[in-house]
Amino acid sequence: MAYSDLTRRTFVTLAGAGSAAAAFGIPAFIPRRGEAADNIKIGLLEPFTGVYAAPGENETNGFQMAVDAWNARGGVMGRRIELVKEDEQNDPGVGAQKARKLVNQDKVVALVGTVSSAVSLSVAGAASALGTLFIDSGGHTDDVTGKNCHWNVFRTCHSTWMETHATGYSLAKRFGKKWYFITPDYAYGHALEAGFKDVLGKVGGTVIGNELTPLGTSDFSAYLTKIDAAKPDLVLVFVQGDDYTNCLKQMDQFGLLKKYPVGGPQVELEPLWSLPPAARQGYWGIEWYYNSNLTLGAGNKVAHQFVADYMKRFSKPPTARSCFGYVTADRLLVSMAETKSTEPVKVAHALENTRFTSIFNGTAYYRKEDHQLMWPMWVAKIRPDGTPGDKYNLFDVIDTQPADAIEQSVAEKAKVCKLDYA
Amino acid sequence: MLEHLAPQLFNGLVLGAFYAIVGIGLSLIMNLTGTINMAHGSFMTLAGYLAFTMIARGSSFWFALIAAPLVAVVVGVLVERTLVRPLYTREPFYSLLMTFGLSLIAEEVYRLIWGANGVPLSAPAALSGAVSLGFMSFPVYRIFIAAVLVVAIIALALFLTRTRFGLRLRAAVQDTEMIAALGTNTQLLYTVNFGLGIFLAGLAGVLAAGMLGLSPTSGNALLMPAFVTVIIGGMGSLFGSVVGGLLIGLAISLTTLFVPAASEVAMYVLMAAVLLVRPRGLFGEEGIFG
Repeated sequence: MAYSDLTRRTFVTLAGAGSAAAAFGIPAFIPRRGEAADNIKIGLLEPFTGVYAAPGENETNGFQMAVDAWNARGGVMGRRIELVKEDEQNDPGVGAQKARKLVNQDKVVALVGTVSSAVSLSVAGAASALGTLFIDSGGHTDDVTGKNCHWNVFRTCHSTWMETHATGYSLAKRFGKKWYFITPDYAYGHALEAGFKDVLGKVGGTVIGNELTPLGTSDFSAYLTKIDAAKPDLVLVFVQGDDYTNCLKQMDQFGLLKKYPVGGPQVELEPLWSLPPAARQGYWGIEWYYNSNLTLGAGNKVAHQFVADYMKRFSKPPTARSCFGYVTADRLLVSMAETKSTEPVKVAHALENTRFTSIFNGTAYYRKEDHQLMWPMWVAKIRPDGTPGDKYNLFDVIDTQPADAIEQSVAEKAKVCKLDYA
Repeated sequence: MLEHLAPQLFNGLVLGAFYAIVGIGLSLIMNLTGTINMAHGSFMTLAGYLAFTMIARGSSFWFALIAAPLVAVVVGVLVERTLVRPLYTREPFYSLLMTFGLSLIAEEVYRLIWGANGVPLSAPAALSGAVSLGFMSFPVYRIFIAAVLVVAIIALALFLTRTRFGLRLRAAVQDTEMIAALGTNTQLLYTVNFGLGIFLAGLAGVLAAGMLGLSPTSGNALLMPAFVTVIIGGMGSLFGSVVGGLLIGLAISLTTLFVPAASEVAMYVLMAAVLLVRPRGLFGEEGIFG
């Protein structure tokens, strides 16, 4: 047997060289094409690769729709809007690094985007240190507009608290108040658990079981036999991604879906499209939907036009992610146009508390006290087998919950968040 | 809590059968050629995705259950012939690195072709739903899986002990040079043996896809328990892999029932305990089924 020629020394050298090359990437001095000096540049951070690539892409499409619409109208202050896109790779470290690169090197005037909460928080941190405006379009953790709130940070999508309360109130009315939770055992799962427990406290219900499952659980059988024995009114499923698919699939195989209604705080179309009917079940919070007058508003021409244009351009319907992107970019540009400025403090003040209508039903505003977008949330029943002739159409929207009823009040928020412009 | 014990024991055995069959495939390849096949999980995933594509194109689940692993075998044999074979004469370290690299490449390729999100592979209607066993109700699909895996393990045992080719394989594990000197084509043995391991992995891959989901990483998620299976069962013993797999399955299932947070560490604790008492594993002896 031949002995290895690879000594420890060469191994270390090679590994060192390899990781150095990977870390620095393409040198920054290589010039890029097509940059005009007087464009207004907006830095867009999305996970173009990795597990959140699909929502990241749809969010980007929404941003692009809004930016293109503004450019078609002549831009802002006569200047073209340019989206400078960076892949945050669903990695908080990369997110912060790319945020600094966009501000320092590309000279963007504001940052937008992100899908995962961890990345939202790290980009928010970097943006705060740089004094740059950041609108979190798609990361849901309460902390962004809670204990980590900052004058330069806004959030468009709903907070976790809003998700749990919108669905909680709606489902308590529909199914009864003895609930069983399947919770992923990490921070996000615990936040959902806390939110629904708060709802149960307010409506007078009980948690009759709570299974804390490790992230990456593939076999849920042990939890499912316990649930079947407990006979709950409703099973709330908080696990995400592939864990969610496995959980629902196994609930189906164990015959639980026929016995108990299931639901959860929020479901997104992107993963749902690729799930089998067995995993497309139950009653879920949704943040926007392209095919319902409850979400779009019957007479809301802007919303219906947006859906039609989007489908024509991308050959698939917009998702809630596309809505986040559109609303975020549109409001940012409205505020810049109104103040005739890209100066962060001025734009931030313009964003605050302006009531507006957009591509959803009803009015909304970024709340002055915490910068959370206050907009309604909806509850939908999933059509497991989809809709004949439209494979994308999976929801029957059944309920609307108003923003003020589902988000913590200003007084409650004041305990954790105080915005300071000084 | 105790009333959940019976179903959970059964769940543990089904899960264990998966680990066992993947572990057997690893063992087969490791015993004969000293190759630690880090790409074993990738072949599971490959068979799962192939079955998914076949079913989506209109073929039946039953056809896909056999055809997808066979296509994976073809890919596996090509890989063995071109990439792994040149490394047989070197230290195991080389083939480990090669197959590890292959598994990383495979994961990204699957992601490119089938997307990063999991895809649905649903069991046919005949296997869906649950049956009542009197004291508990249990999914038909899991009973089916258990049956297929038991049949596969018995068939393999018969192949290795009752057929001429199987005898040669076992002899080659004992002394490759001697059996080559006696006129057996050892290169062919290597290839068939590798293919056999991949077929078992592929079979498990298709079955697992219907129960545990299918994503670019799903096969690799089963690989670690399979290695632990081989270590607990003892290197070199296929029977040990069966016992090791079932033990791990039970350990994971029962800890999930009583202490969910500890379910992931359970198999490593079991492995540590076995290694302390018996460092070569439960049945770790030379020779197949020794």
